[in-house]
Amino acid sequence: MTQKPAVDQELAPDVVAQPELTGKKTLGGRLASQRVWLGCIAGILALILLPMLSDLIFGGSSDFQLHHISLIGIFILAALAQNILTGYAAQPSLGNAAFFGVSAYVLTWLSSDLGQPYWIGILAAVVVSALLGLIVGTPALRISGAHLAVATLGLVTTVGALLNFWDTTAGRQNYDLSNLPDFLNDDRTLYYFIFAIVVCLLFLSYHLLHSRVGRAWIAIRDNETAAEAFGINLTKYKLQAFVISAAMTGLAGSLYATWATTASSSMSSADQTIAFLAMIVVGGLGSLTGSILGAIFVGFLPLLLGQLPSPMVIGSFQLQISTLITGIYGLLLLLVLIFFPSGLSSLGTQAGNWLQRKPSKGGTE
Amino acid sequence: MSAFLQVVIAGLVTGSLYGLLTLGIVLIYRTTGVLNFAYGAIASLCACFMYILLTGPRLNFWIALVLTLLFSLLLGIVLERGFARPVLHAPVFTKAIATLALALVLETIAQAIWPQLAEVQHFSTPFEGQALHLGGVYLSAIDIVILVVTASLMLVLNLFLMHTRMGIAMRAMADNIPATRLMGASVGRIFMLVWALSSFLAAICGILLAGQSNLINVQFMDPILLPAFIGAVLGGLDSLPGSLIGGILVGLVSNLLAYFLAGHMLGAVDMSNPAIRDTLIFVGFVIVLLIRPQGLRGRALLRRV
Repeated sequence: MTQKPAVDQELAPDVVAQPELTGKKTLGGRLASQRVWLGCIAGILALILLPMLSDLIFGGSSDFQLHHISLIGIFILAALAQNILTGYAAQPSLGNAAFFGVSAYVLTWLSSDLGQPYWIGILAAVVVSALLGLIVGTPALRISGAHLAVATLGLVTTVGALLNFWDTTAGRQNYDLSNLPDFLNDDRTLYYFIFAIVVCLLFLSYHLLHSRVGRAWIAIRDNETAAEAFGINLTKYKLQAFVISAAMTGLAGSLYATWATTASSSMSSADQTIAFLAMIVVGGLGSLTGSILGAIFVGFLPLLLGQLPSPMVIGSFQLQISTLITGIYGLLLLLVLIFFPSGLSSLGTQAGNWLQRKPSKGGTE
Repeated sequence: MSAFLQVVIAGLVTGSLYGLLTLGIVLIYRTTGVLNFAYGAIASLCACFMYILLTGPRLNFWIALVLTLLFSLLLGIVLERGFARPVLHAPVFTKAIATLALALVLETIAQAIWPQLAEVQHFSTPFEGQALHLGGVYLSAIDIVILVVTASLMLVLNLFLMHTRMGIAMRAMADNIPATRLMGASVGRIFMLVWALSSFLAAICGILLAGQSNLINVQFMDPILLPAFIGAVLGGLDSLPGSLIGGILVGLVSNLLAYFLAGHMLGAVDMSNPAIRDTLIFVGFVIVLLIRPQGLRGRALLRRV
């Protein structure tokens, strides 16, 4: 986000935050990459053990709770996609919700209306999203900044209106996804299915971001002109970011349709865009951990607030919980943007810096 | 012919409403660099405030109007101090996200204080049901008010920006903030004034729109916001006359499309549906943006290395 010149001393804080980006195998770097591996293994173990833990805590309602947790996995994919586009390649696009909605409709249409197998539906949804990403990305290269934000937000509402129009023309209340493979009707296998995909994609994204492509995106983000001067093909890498992000959002959208067993036009709405942005901004722009933290945060919030009675009455005010949830998203986004512009994922680093500074300060006294 | 004239006039009226919004959007964007997606929420908050004054204490329409306009100025000042100032130095995109969040917060606050406005309510004005017939063309009283108010506001705003000290300082700030500060202008006070002025414009637009449709709820501005932004970007986001022209253009095209598409079917698709109209406008907007990325009247941006 900051426009720092590419001087080593200036980059020092970033190097502390993401040692694996420097490529140098220093002692700290090796320790950090060990920490990444330990974190991955711990995370995967936790995901495998979570259903059993949930059995212990919730007993009979365990499957119901797992169903909710699966949603967080879908959010992680969507947050990852938005973060690749916005946090790494620095394209101010608000358009990902459009791919989220379209892919859900493609899957539902192929599966329910045309009776195609589920896997073909998912594949088609991802391919259609990627193509749409290409179609949106090509003009987006010519449009920059504020104009792109308006154009992509317009895309989201226009696509939402068209999907809604399709629903009303076809005369249906809700577009149900039938014809699912049997094992996806079970909450527990759905949980494993979604998180297997999430882990795979996290792994792929991690390596993509540490490859030539990821480094090119970061170079473009930090200074477009300098990146171009170094021979980075701006058009190619920006388009790649759009297509990859769109395909990933498409996967998230079709999984969401699977999860909810329905596709709705509200999946392509300004509110959905805000939810995606809330995830990456609260979590941290340009950080994989940030995408995960942000998605967990946004996913758990309705679960926690859902325990409250609806409508909630405070004094003379009364409020629907659903409204309250969107309001709280908004408030949190604002607070994070104002007070922690680098998000939750930076809290650890900030705390570390603060702790390291403490003793030296004590020494001077 | 008179039917066509009728459509053009309706387009001008809608366009004027969009134009008022685009003016406020561009005013804020040019001077403070905030792409204000919360603009619709500000307008609807002010209009809702007026509705409450009209129905709660049953105030006279004009007294309620004056109080609402004062409220809008105050709201602008509060938003500048509480919201715009802390994010002043953030990148443009971050500020845009922040305004999306602000819109959610404002709408939630409005729904919490006035739960009755979650549903659509009747908004009554003294102009309700009055109309003028001019040689086959039908003009409702509120439409005339909208045209007159927009034109006079435009005139006053133009005089203000071109000939007063404050207005000139405001325009100078849009070009170069440090230089303006060196010339002795109080940049902080101008920021406040810009936000107050633009939320004043938002309030007027909100009240006029509610008066035109006689309907109001917390989210009634949402469908208007996108066309207004399209108008603002078409105008180039950097010139005030351009933005007004952009807004009016979108309003006109929208009404003309509705007129020409009415009753047409493309296969099984009913072309007169608002979704089709909005899509066509959006596609047209993207095409214009591709041919002229800086907007119809905007200047090409020079980027320094």
